[in-house]
Amino acid sequence: MNHTTLIDKLKAIIAPYAANKQALSNLNETTDFINDLEINSANLVDVILDIEEVFDIRINNEEMEQMLTVKAAVAIIERKLAEK
Amino acid sequence: MIGNDVIDIAQSRTDSNWQRKGFIERLFTDTEQATINSHDNPEIMIWVLWSMKEAAYKIYNRETDLRAFIPLRLICSNITENKSGFTGRVECAGKTYFTETYFNGKMIHTVALTTKNGFDNIKELPGHKVFKNSKGHPFAYIPGYTLPQPVSRSHHGKYQKSVIHPQYKKYTV
Repeated sequence: MNHTTLIDKLKAIIAPYAANKQALSNLNETTDFINDLEINSANLVDVILDIEEVFDIRINNEEMEQMLTVKAAVAIIERKLAEK
Repeated sequence: MIGNDVIDIAQSRTDSNWQRKGFIERLFTDTEQATINSHDNPEIMIWVLWSMKEAAYKIYNRETDLRAFIPLRLICSNITENKSGFTGRVECAGKTYFTETYFNGKMIHTVALTTKNGFDNIKELPGHKVFKNSKGHPFAYIPGYTLPQPVSRSHHGKYQKSVIHPQYKKYTV
């Protein structure tokens, strides 16, 4: 999966939880899940569970801790896909 | 230092499906899960514990400037139910935060402090009094204090709470 496809897939996962639709439409690597997209922090766990389902990967607790930005999420997903 | 978190129960039912597979396991330790599952109302206990973690995290983040999604490192203990809600503790990376949670059936509001005492001195502020410093931390000026005081603010659904715990010396001439 190429980088752009991965970000598009991630954007589709995040969309239902993002309160700030403007920030969602401008989503890029520097986008912050809470500060920019205004995702409710309790929904971060839904983002993580959805990522696991869609990409068929398992994100461990240490990785979960870093999942606050698009950049961090993409790096973790790409690493997990490479390990498959 | 002070931290708070408010949860609108009706809003939480729109936002989250707490019965989703993996949801509880990713947010709560085994001991916390036992606390949740042994309570008459597990749904309410989930949000009480979550609000404790959120309120404590706001202090932790302010004290350390560390930012991370660390629900399993914010460990709730000493949870005691009383007629207006719950009291408890949250431990994180060797630090202890004390919490008081108010629950009225529709809304949960937890306040965390770094000290066991002082909950009687907490005041609620109108939201418009609050400003943020360059780091994004909320403060407010209140009568009798020359320096701006740290504030914690939380909003969820139809509820918004700003709280302050005046702790610096009073200005005297």
